[in-house]
Amino acid sequence: MSKSLGSALTRRTLMRGGAAAGATALGAGALSACAPSAGGGGGGGKTTLTIMAPENEFAPEFLKSIEEELDVKIKRVEVDTTKLTAMLASGTAPDLVRGLGAVETSFYVARDLALPLDDYFAKSDLLKEDDLDPVNDVWRYDGTVQGQGPRYGMAKDYSQDAMFWYNAALFESAGVDLPSETEPVTFDQWLDMGKELTKKDGDTTSVYGLSAGGLGLFISLVNMTASAGGSLFSEDLASVDFSSPEAQQALTWYLDYARSRVGFSPVEPNPDGWDWPPYQTGRLAMSWSGYWFGGAIAAEAELAETSRLAPAPTMGGERLSACFGATGYWIPKASKNPDEAWALFEHFMGGDPAKERAAGGWGMPSLLSLREDLPTGTVAQEQALAVQEAEADYFKVLTFSPYVKVEAVDAVLNEFLPDAINGDATAGSLADALNPEINALLEEGKELVK
Amino acid sequence: MTATLAASTEDAPPAPEVKRRGRGRSGQRTRTFYLFVGPWIAGFVLLTLFPLGYAFWMSLTNTDGLSPNWSYVGFENYVRVFQDTQTIESLGRTGIFMLATVPTGVAAGLAMAVLLNRDFRGRTLFRALFYLPAVVPGVAAALTFKIIFDKNAGAANAAVGAVGGEPISWLADPYTRFVLILMILWGVGGSMIISLAALQDVPRELLEAAKVDGASPAYSFFKITLPILSPIIFFQVVTGVIGSLQVFVPSLLLAPVNGPAAVTAVPEGNYFFMVHVYAEYFAKSHFGYASALLWVLFAFVLLITGIVFKLGNRSVFYGGVDPTEKEGS
Repeated sequence: MSKSLGSALTRRTLMRGGAAAGATALGAGALSACAPSAGGGGGGGKTTLTIMAPENEFAPEFLKSIEEELDVKIKRVEVDTTKLTAMLASGTAPDLVRGLGAVETSFYVARDLALPLDDYFAKSDLLKEDDLDPVNDVWRYDGTVQGQGPRYGMAKDYSQDAMFWYNAALFESAGVDLPSETEPVTFDQWLDMGKELTKKDGDTTSVYGLSAGGLGLFISLVNMTASAGGSLFSEDLASVDFSSPEAQQALTWYLDYARSRVGFSPVEPNPDGWDWPPYQTGRLAMSWSGYWFGGAIAAEAELAETSRLAPAPTMGGERLSACFGATGYWIPKASKNPDEAWALFEHFMGGDPAKERAAGGWGMPSLLSLREDLPTGTVAQEQALAVQEAEADYFKVLTFSPYVKVEAVDAVLNEFLPDAINGDATAGSLADALNPEINALLEEGKELVK
Repeated sequence: MTATLAASTEDAPPAPEVKRRGRGRSGQRTRTFYLFVGPWIAGFVLLTLFPLGYAFWMSLTNTDGLSPNWSYVGFENYVRVFQDTQTIESLGRTGIFMLATVPTGVAAGLAMAVLLNRDFRGRTLFRALFYLPAVVPGVAAALTFKIIFDKNAGAANAAVGAVGGEPISWLADPYTRFVLILMILWGVGGSMIISLAALQDVPRELLEAAKVDGASPAYSFFKITLPILSPIIFFQVVTGVIGSLQVFVPSLLLAPVNGPAAVTAVPEGNYFFMVHVYAEYFAKSHFGYASALLWVLFAFVLLITGIVFKLGNRSVFYGGVDPTEKEGS
C-alpha cells in the first residue's frame, strides 16, 4: 500500500498536524512554541523570520541589531529536534534552523525538507566558493554521497572533534607524561593514561581521568571504527555491522573504558550532563572535545594556563581526525521567507558575527579568510591553534546514514550498554544484540525515503 | 365590569401560550448552558477529540511525520505493542511506580495535613514550609536532587559514608528509580494542602460528641474524619493514578544527558511508558507506532480509572449517605 511520490504533496498536507496531534495527545506541550506562524507579515508589514537557534548565538541585543540592519522581525525559538519535527510536520517550519551538518544533512535532504542554497551562494558577496572551508562539504548531499551535490547549509564553525583536551596540572600531580602534540596516542594508551589520572578514595572518584562520551555514543563508535580502518556503516549506508573486526575493536575498547570507570558512561552518569563543569573544576583530566572547548577554557585564566589540546587518538588504522558535528544552519524548503532567511544566513556566516565568533576561539571558522582572526592571546590558545593546524592534514568527515536520526541509534545503544557494561557481555554478544535492532531502524527509514 | 371581565377572559392568553413561555425560559436556559459550556466543548473537540482521532489515524500508518512515502499498515502497530518487550516492561514499570507513589503520596499528604491541622505555635510557618517544595519548579527540584545524589560529592553518599557504607551510584540503575520516587514525594505538599482544606470542613461537633462518648482520637479519625475526607482522598487517588501513569518529565530531568537528547539516555529504572512513547515519536521517528502506544495508554488509563471508581464506590462517603446503605437501598 506504499504511495508513489507523485501524490506526496497531498499526503504531506494530510500529514500536517500529525505531529501536532501526537504531541498534544502526548501532553508534551512541545507545540505551544510552534504556534506562532513562521510566515511574514507580522508587525507593521515587516517580514517575521522564525529562527531555531540558541540564545548564545542570537542574543536579544544581537537580534535587535540584525532586525534593524535587515529590516525584518526575528522570532527565536530554542533548538529542539522534537519541536523542529513538530514544526516541519505541521507546516509551520522555521525559516532558519541550527543543525549538525555531519549527521543531519542527508536525513533532511532525503526527505526533501531542506532548501538547496547553490543559487544563493553563487550570488553572494560574503560567502565565496573559494573561501569556504572544505568542512562545509558535510552540508552537501547528492542523494547518495554526503560531500557531493548541492549545498544545503553551512557550518558556523567547526572542530576536529576526535581530538582531546587535557589539564596538564592534573598530569603533573599524577606523575603522568604529557601526550605528544604531534603524534597521536593509541586508544589503549589513552585509556591507560585515563586510569593513571583517575583519583579514587574507595569507590568515590575525586578526579576522572578521561571522558570519552564525545558528541554522542554512536558517532564516537563510528569514529573509532574508522580509526581502526573499518566502517560501521555499509557502503549504501543502509545497514551497520558491529561484528566486523574494526567495530569489535571499538566496542571492546568502549566496554573496557566504561567498566574501568575512569570516566562518564551510562553506568557512571555525569550529573552535569556534559564535560565542561567537571573539567572546569579540576575533576576531569581529559575531555574528548575538539578545538571549540578552548572557547570555554579561555574564560578561566588559571585553567587556560594548564590546558592543552592533543591530536585525535588512533585505533591503528590510517591516521584520521574526524569532525562529528560541523554545526551550522540550514533553511527549510517550507520556509515562507527564504530570501530574508538567506540574508540573515549570509550575514551570520560571513559578516561581523562570523568575525566575532572566530576571534572568540569557539571553533575553527568555516571561512578560510577568517583563520587569521583566531585567538592566540594565551598559552592554551597558541598551543591549541598550532596543534589544530597540524591536525588539519588528517581531517575527515564521517558519513552518516540518511535513513535514521542519530538520536534513534543512541537510544538503542543506551538500551543495551548498561547491562553489557555491568554484566560480562563481550563485544561479540553486544554486536549480536545491536545489529538487528539498528538495522531494523535503518530498514524502516529506507522504506520511507526510497 | 362583566364585559370587561369577559373581554379580559377572552383576551386572556390561551393555554398553549403559557407553554410557549415555558419553552422560552427553557430555551433560554439551554442557550445559556451552551454559551457557558461552548468554549469548553470547542477546546475539548479541538484539543482532545481531534488529536485523539488524528493519533488514531496515524497509528494505522508507518509515518515518521516527515517522509513522503508512508503507508497504511492497518492494525500492525497495535499488534506490535504487545510484542515489544520495551513497551510491556515500561508499562509494568509505570504500574509499579503508580503503586509506589500514589498511596504513599496521598497518605503522607494526609498525615502532614492532620499534624498541621492541630493548634500549635508556628503552625502557619510549618504549613508554608511543608508546602514550599510543591511550588519549586520541577527543573530546579531535579537539579537539586542530582546534586544531593551525586555519587562523588552528594549529601546522600556522605550520609551513607557516615554510617560506614560504600558510595552508591544513585543516578544510575538500579537506584535511580528511588531517587525519582523521592523527588515525586518531595512535592507531597500539594496533596497536603488539599487534605488540609478538607479537614477544615470536618464538623467539630461530631468530633466533640465522639469525645464525650469516650471515643479515642484514633477511633474518631478512622470513623469520623476519614469517611468525611474520603471524597477528597478519592479525588487525589484518581488524579494521582492518571498523573503517575503519564509520568515523563521527571525521568528526562534526572537523565545523565541534558536537553532533548535526554530521552536517549534515561536509565532503565526510570524508562516509563510515556518516556518510551516520546522516544518512539521523536528519537526513533516512529509516529505511527507511538500513536498506537498512546491509544493503548489511553485504554489502560480508562481501565485503571474504572477500577479505581469501582473500588471507590464502595468506600467513599458522600454527604451523609453511607455507601453500603446506598447500595442496599
